[in-house]
Amino acid sequence: MACGSTSLWAGETTWFCCGSSWGPCGSAGTGACGTCQSSAHQAAWPNTSQACFDITRPDLCGESIARRACGSVMNVKHQCSGATVCVTVSDCGPRTQSFCGEATCCNGACRTNRVIDLTPAAFSAIGNLSSGKLPVYIYE
Amino acid sequence: MIQDLAPLVCGLLLAATGAAKLFGRRTAQIAANTVLVRVLGNRHRAAFALRAVGALEAAVAAGLLAAPSAVVPGVATAVLGAGFTGYLGYARATAPETSCGCSARDEGPIGTRSFVRAVLVLAGGVAAAFAGGTWWHEIAGRPGWSLLVLAAAAALVAAVSRDVDRVWLPVRRLRLRLFGTPLPTGSGRRVPVEASVELLESSLAWQASAPIVRSALLDHWDDEGWRVLRFAGVHQDERGARPVSVLFALDEEATIDSSPSPAVRVSVIDDDTQEAILLDLLALSGLRTPLPLV
Amino acid sequence: MTDRHDPARRGFDRRRFLTTAALGGATIVGASALGGLDADAAFAAPIPSLDPAIAKSAFAEGRITAIKGSVLEVAGSYGDRHLIQLTNATSIWKLRTTTADAIRTGDGLYARGVDMPDGTIAADAVWVNIVNLFCTVRGIAKDRLHLTHGSADHEVVGRIVPETTTASYLGGALTPDLSRVRIGQSAQVLGAWRPEDDTVDIARVTVGH
Repeated sequence: MACGSTSLWAGETTWFCCGSSWGPCGSAGTGACGTCQSSAHQAAWPNTSQACFDITRPDLCGESIARRACGSVMNVKHQCSGATVCVTVSDCGPRTQSFCGEATCCNGACRTNRVIDLTPAAFSAIGNLSSGKLPVYIYE
Repeated sequence: MIQDLAPLVCGLLLAATGAAKLFGRRTAQIAANTVLVRVLGNRHRAAFALRAVGALEAAVAAGLLAAPSAVVPGVATAVLGAGFTGYLGYARATAPETSCGCSARDEGPIGTRSFVRAVLVLAGGVAAAFAGGTWWHEIAGRPGWSLLVLAAAAALVAAVSRDVDRVWLPVRRLRLRLFGTPLPTGSGRRVPVEASVELLESSLAWQASAPIVRSALLDHWDDEGWRVLRFAGVHQDERGARPVSVLFALDEEATIDSSPSPAVRVSVIDDDTQEAILLDLLALSGLRTPLPLV
Repeated sequence: MTDRHDPARRGFDRRRFLTTAALGGATIVGASALGGLDADAAFAAPIPSLDPAIAKSAFAEGRITAIKGSVLEVAGSYGDRHLIQLTNATSIWKLRTTTADAIRTGDGLYARGVDMPDGTIAADAVWVNIVNLFCTVRGIAKDRLHLTHGSADHEVVGRIVPETTTASYLGGALTPDLSRVRIGQSAQVLGAWRPEDDTVDIARVTVGH
């Protein structure tokens, strides 16, 4: 499936590991969709299902994020550099409600709330893993 | 006598952990994270093995509770404890990041508590093997003493069990409230380099250099109030692609809290010639169209 | 030995030279001064449609099985193998920005780079043992945090490293002040896993609600 260019959402992204992996990631499993791999261009979306939404609760931060099921394809663009990466939704996350109001900015324009989590492969394609979080636009 | 109560304590403990392994819905999932997968070849065999151990624990528990004065259940418990200790030692030595699968609700790397639990089962088994009477006679004969021993045993089991970790949370909270946090306040420390990188990454200078920078932070140092951050990059011009160092200098005290729009000095140095390359980064990155020359 | 041949001295001279060069560069200030691009307007701008199979940079993940000179042999978690070429331009992170000397056999890594014709990956950036865990703080001691992560409340010990561990409170700047971390809080822990004892050295703890 090709990656679209219709705007879907904007916010912060962080990164997470999943699938067979080393260290504490080894216990993370293959995620809510059963397909998650750290080395693939994949993402976790906070509303893949009702059960997922009940955990992440982005609505508590004022984010009425649309439901996108496992396998949905999204294009994630770094707000500052414009670098993009195309990802497939493969897990439920991040826990938006735990970081309500957190902002990441570039050049004075800020994105608020954690709305997507990327695998290390996807995150490192648009930023540095050691930065931990980035402001992004999401297209589908 | 304490050893007369050992079969009751060990029996209840093994009944709980055995039943959890045998009937737990997550046993297969937990088995998949243990060293058993590697030893037995696949996760189905590992899950089967974990359930079989659960069945064994349940059988030994039944023996301990029903025939406490017999020697066999006590010896069987001690053998189980020795087996657990050996298994943990092997797993710890060969695959420290695997889970122990000890109590079936319990996932986590093999730590000191896992070993203490296994050794306690071994000790309990030895004590049970030497039991002279039955635990029900002991309780009926000396109820106060028995209650005290059982309470102490329960506390010991709780202390080495991860499952009841949340019981300790309010206690830990109270301790912090009374005695304050033991964590460093960081007073007197300089602004961490990571805070400078964070500030840089939120700046217009970073945005403007995005087409050139390739690496993450390569090197950093402080010099007369400036913090210099060095990145590696590639500059493409009419002569082809050249490796460059991209240097950012910013106030060593500045953070995203103190200066949301920092002034950042940027320069690009050719790695081969060591000469500065004069670039209009804002124009290059499309952030500002150059003014027409008149 | 003359100053010219002393590596420490040479490194100092090079830094001095680079500092001078850096300070001689153009000063770029934030949006208010230059009228930068409005970020919300950028959302409206169309972006090219990309095929998900095409990636611009190469990526590798796995455990380091051997270190031969400046090449890291890496066994991927799915049976794949990679050869990672480190160069002078490769950034290396292992709890902090460091050099290739800090890398050990048995370490885990993520690497970003460029595929070379000989099958190796010339690395732009290498992150060794890096983990980014969503945790709950379960206990606090002077030199460590007791954490749980994941749906099964997997236990992790997070070590506090003097002069290195930083904290961020709800999006604030990274600070060496860790005293506002509380038991029961959600926290994102970015750190370096230690294969020898399966604990994590904390680089930063980002505290949430």
